[in-house]
Amino acid sequence: MSIKKVFPTRLAVGLLLAIVIDTALQLVWKSAVLSLPNDGSRWLNLQAILHSPLLIFVIFLMACQFFNWLMVLGNADLSYAQPVTSLSYVTVFCLSVLYLKEGTDLIQIAGILLVLAGVWFISRTDHVTQSKEHEA
Amino acid sequence: MGQTAIGVLLVVICALLEGVGQVFLKKSVLRAVRWYLWISSGIVILLIETMIYSEALLFLDVGAAYTISSLNLISVTFMSRCLLRERVTRTRWIGVCLIFIGVSLVAARA
Repeated sequence: MSIKKVFPTRLAVGLLLAIVIDTALQLVWKSAVLSLPNDGSRWLNLQAILHSPLLIFVIFLMACQFFNWLMVLGNADLSYAQPVTSLSYVTVFCLSVLYLKEGTDLIQIAGILLVLAGVWFISRTDHVTQSKEHEA
Repeated sequence: MGQTAIGVLLVVICALLEGVGQVFLKKSVLRAVRWYLWISSGIVILLIETMIYSEALLFLDVGAAYTISSLNLISVTFMSRCLLRERVTRTRWIGVCLIFIGVSLVAARA
């Protein structure tokens, strides 16, 4: 018999946070990498990284992402949570077009719609497998 | 090998590392015993992935790099089924495949 599982508020908030942080992380990361001097010297690049406020912010975002993600994983299957956070593909794409002035066309927009459809399918499934299977 | 090809190759490697690292992190929250071994292994793998991804962003737009890394959806789902014994239904696979195709369309035009 199938038992309807309650979707915890903590999981919903965690997934939303994961999408928001992931989006910010991708955009700040790109800006940080572009701000580095392109002189071909890895040692100088490493020094620049250590002194770049943007990259320090990237590390901060990664830490937030990490602890939030552990909380999400404690409340949902990995094979459920990972695809749902694919919504950040949509947000990163939109913000890349709007703020980083990267190009777009109808094929890309169709792809984004498929991502949305895929996440909808994932959301129709149970967010967690029976615990006895996990403990096995 | 062109710069774009190098970038794509680096992001594909990142996707594989992401799959392995995520399974280790999930193991850490499932196990009360020796969870620190799983979490530290996961962190090391994800740090390596981070360094490679930073390199890849020098060759690709952020939109392209991020979308190609959707390959990790396939590897994570497969590993979750096989290693974590999660129940991956047909509906979930359809969702994952739709996301993968959608992301591939975006990446192909990037």
